[in-house]
Amino acid sequence: MRVVIGEDEALLREGLALLLERGGFEVVALAPDAETLVRLAREHAPDLVVTDIRMPPTQADEGLRAALAIRAERPETAIVVVSQHAQRRYADELLAQQTAGAGYLLKQRIVESEQFCDDLRRVCAGGIVLDPELVSVLLGRARPDGDPLHELTERQREVLALMAEGLSNSAIAARLTITEKAVVKHVANVYDALGLTPGADDHRRVQAVVRYLSS
Amino acid sequence: MHWASSVRTAALSGNGPGTRVGGDLSPVAGASAAIVALGAVEAVLLFDQPDAPWQLALFIVAAWTWFAAGVVAARRRPGNRMGAIMVVGAFVWLGAGLANAPLAALSAVGLVVQLLPLALVVHLLHAFPSGRLRGGASRVIVAGVYTAALLLHAPAYLFAPGDAAATLQLADRPDLVTLGATVQDTIGGALMVATGVLLALRMRSATQAQRRLLAPLALYGIVAVVSTPLLSRLLDGAPLAFFTAQTLLLTGVPVAFAAAMAIGGFAPTAGVAQLSAWLGAADNAPATLRGAVADALGDGSVALLLWAGERWVDSDGRAAALPDAGATDAGRPVAGAGGRGPRAADAGRRGADAESSGRGVALVEADGRRVGAIVYDATLIADPAPVAEAAAVIALALDRERLTAELRVSNDGLRDSRARIAAAADAERRRIARDLHDGVQGRLVLLALQARELSRSDDAGPAARAEAARLRTELEAALGTLRELVQGVLPAALVERGLGAAAHDLADRMPLPTTVLAGDERFPPAVESAGWFVIAEALANAVRHARARRLDVRVQWAGGGLLIEVRDDGGGGAAPAPAGGLAASGGSGLRGLADRLDVLGGRLRIESPPGGGTLIVAEVPCGS
Repeated sequence: MRVVIGEDEALLREGLALLLERGGFEVVALAPDAETLVRLAREHAPDLVVTDIRMPPTQADEGLRAALAIRAERPETAIVVVSQHAQRRYADELLAQQTAGAGYLLKQRIVESEQFCDDLRRVCAGGIVLDPELVSVLLGRARPDGDPLHELTERQREVLALMAEGLSNSAIAARLTITEKAVVKHVANVYDALGLTPGADDHRRVQAVVRYLSS
Repeated sequence: MHWASSVRTAALSGNGPGTRVGGDLSPVAGASAAIVALGAVEAVLLFDQPDAPWQLALFIVAAWTWFAAGVVAARRRPGNRMGAIMVVGAFVWLGAGLANAPLAALSAVGLVVQLLPLALVVHLLHAFPSGRLRGGASRVIVAGVYTAALLLHAPAYLFAPGDAAATLQLADRPDLVTLGATVQDTIGGALMVATGVLLALRMRSATQAQRRLLAPLALYGIVAVVSTPLLSRLLDGAPLAFFTAQTLLLTGVPVAFAAAMAIGGFAPTAGVAQLSAWLGAADNAPATLRGAVADALGDGSVALLLWAGERWVDSDGRAAALPDAGATDAGRPVAGAGGRGPRAADAGRRGADAESSGRGVALVEADGRRVGAIVYDATLIADPAPVAEAAAVIALALDRERLTAELRVSNDGLRDSRARIAAAADAERRRIARDLHDGVQGRLVLLALQARELSRSDDAGPAARAEAARLRTELEAALGTLRELVQGVLPAALVERGLGAAAHDLADRMPLPTTVLAGDERFPPAVESAGWFVIAEALANAVRHARARRLDVRVQWAGGGLLIEVRDDGGGGAAPAPAGGLAASGGSGLRGLADRLDVLGGRLRIESPPGGGTLIVAEVPCGS
């Protein structure tokens, strides 16, 4: 899988490249700023773009904007954005433009390198990966009394969180060390409780869940 | 010049500075008596002849009309010489009428001055609106017109055709009369063309309002003068009809000028006496000092400048410049008030010389110190004396205004420097947060990564691996702390997307349902930082103290600045002002916020009726 990396910190950029190469990715280009990232992505037509959200020149959200621009140009490009802080708004923007895999992870997830590479591969395969911290923000948002979310059991909340992180039923089963059958049942109950219609695939499932949690 | 001295002697208002006060009627009364009496005597003389046509009365009518117009103009604007010229014109009309008197000596006077009324009309045209001739061209033309009316008219009576009995006749030489008339017409015509050109040029630099007034006036004056030779040819066979038409036309001229001075941009002058009275009144506001001076001088364009030690400023403390007229010899004492009384004599000489800019300047001094200046329209007020007088009268009031402006400037300076310090502190905080975010965090991530790899490396012994695993945990904890620190100083959403996004991000992490109404507009960094701290502190306060069930945040542009409203539905009863009481109810953070906002020129307001929830409103102007 061919990857272009956008990161303005040289050390981290190189470290990330090394880590991905070791994880089996082919890093075709490195960009120190958003403009270069868009140009290199156009040049190399990579399968995946991994970029820091905050990038020069203004150190605002250029990386995210660049990623969305790349996706608009080549919809089949998978994108993963990383940052220091999880913001619901960025997840909304990332998922609104859903044509291929997408991911939003905190930078510190890099440390768990195998997991990080796994996440990238899931995104390359068209999946959605959202950082657990982001999901916990989404799930933790205060809701008025009577919200269906209050009715969920602890287990159901766990399943909902993992759904939002982008895990498939089998992955959720493995994570919670329960059977996949039990997961299917939990998912159905969550859907009932929240009034969601079961999605055709994992992809749409994440979108629906996140949309629900973000509203 | 001959005309000038005659103007001075007869001028109603020419009795020097100091005694000219609005409403002083005694010279007017004297002149009125004279013109009425002289007119009556002349009427008796003229009509004491057989077959005297009634039209002779028009001389008297014209004289009285010119006089009345002159008095109206002079009373309306005491410092203005237009009225004086008209009054001189009244006497000239009486003189011209004498040409028809039965006495040879009087008739001779009349013949000599016969054409002077025309010259006076031209004089009025050039002198409007101040009554003074502006520029060398005007002086030359008016002198030429008086010459043409007096000297070039001489052949008409010296060589008059007919028998030798005619007054002043030297010889019966019709050819010389014709020659003289041709020369007079040619020169007179040329002077009128020059007058037309000059007035047109002047109109180009006049204001729109003045132009509307000047154009018809100039046209009327020129037509009145030029039509005289034309009418005389047209109405050759009917001399009385010609005379009637000409006299009526010329009689209307001063009326038109006086009317023009009473309307448009030429306001009446209230007089310096009224200015003094106004200053004496207890409740006058400094802001209206300019208005009072403008009323006193009848010049709506009057501006008051203040001397701030080394530069000129306006009453708001903004830097200002003197017009060209006053840009020279700044140290000269000009007008003063205080122990030694007004020294106003030559205050406005600059003004009189201010032909280039059209603005005059009278310096104002108090106790020998310069405090300010009156800048006025020198094309409107030719006589600097009343301005100098006004300068002396307002000296102390203007000094007070100067001190106020100084205070305001230093106050603004203080506020500006505080704001600069706050902005610098904010910028420094942002820089540190950014450095931490961009550099240190990335390195810690890499270090943690390496520690983790080491902890799983086969090359390391079990003890080293355990140590590396512990190191990784520590590094990740440090990373977490650093993230919190950076987020607390410079929230990611704030720096990346602005206050609205930061408010949403805050709300997402609130333990109470929190709605946010905010757009994506950006504000200056210091304002955004202050705004974010307001929202964060107000929300935290509500969560801690208000026993609220829901929170509302609004962030918007309003009235050229940032408006933040944070509302809860809790118990209310928080202190109404961010002083003292708030600290008692746990709002010491709000006190700090109030200070923060104050530095930016903003303010914090708290509404917290018992049982009615609490509303915190912060406003920060974003003007500059």
